[in-house]
Amino acid sequence: MDRYHWLLVFHMAGAFLVLGAAMLAGIFNVAAMRRERPSEVVVLYRLTQIAVRSITIGLVVALAFGIWLVADLDFVKWSNAWVIIALILWVVASALGGIGGRREEETRRFAEKLAAEGDAPSTELRARLRYPVTLALSWGSGLVVVAILAIMIWKPGH
Amino acid sequence: MLAIIRPDNWNFPLFLHVLGATLVTGATAAAFITALSSRRWPWMRLVMARTLLLATFPAWILMRLAGAWIESREDISGSPGWLGVGFIVGDGGLLLLVVAMILGAVGVRRPQRNWPVGAVAVLTGVYFVALIVAMVAMTGKPGS
Repeated sequence: MDRYHWLLVFHMAGAFLVLGAAMLAGIFNVAAMRRERPSEVVVLYRLTQIAVRSITIGLVVALAFGIWLVADLDFVKWSNAWVIIALILWVVASALGGIGGRREEETRRFAEKLAAEGDAPSTELRARLRYPVTLALSWGSGLVVVAILAIMIWKPGH
Repeated sequence: MLAIIRPDNWNFPLFLHVLGATLVTGATAAAFITALSSRRWPWMRLVMARTLLLATFPAWILMRLAGAWIESREDISGSPGWLGVGFIVGDGGLLLLVVAMILGAVGVRRPQRNWPVGAVAVLTGVYFVALIVAMVAMTGKPGS
């Protein structure tokens, strides 16, 4: 494989890590919404942390090797619209995921507190798990990453 | 940047194929993690079985059908190795996933038996590694 293909493999590995881990987080998120006992929610939210760390690593790897590719290829310019849009969406996805992640961290801490206090089902925990703003932030972040994938393939303006 | 320049009518099937591949990888990882976790938390067996049926399998269908769609548009000469790896992992994956789904259902219906869930962990772990190998082969296209 030549250098271009090696760079592309690592860039794609980052993209796979982000989207695959977003799927992983989504599955655990949906599963947590279906559980009643706080201790079970805690387990699923702790597993979600694996996905969150993978998304963070994937975002950094995809960005680093994407930048390297742009710098390396003669016919791709920093001024290309699709490169600029992708970078902006990368920031948006990171910000949405970061804010949503902090809210879900608070929900996990609340579930841990309930689990330590008798592990009884709680209507407040149920409401927090389904809070629309938190869900919109976390799932919206995933949708923005899918949009980045679409831009990488269609390359509008190229 | 997923590839350089290609005909516009390849974009949509390629998008679906790559999206399906990333989702099936994540869903397979979820099935693997829940299968391992269900030894400690038996209620995870249901999460594992639902993940295989409602996430991994639909994502596999998306990946495979979109892969067939893009392959019908590309004029690939010969039988390059990277394409062969894609076919083996794609089609072989169906067998692994069907067996994993059956064993996952057995694990839920027979909670006293641990081996079906252990087998699901092995199958999904193997398939996860195979998917990563396919991703490297299909992106890097070694030998072409």
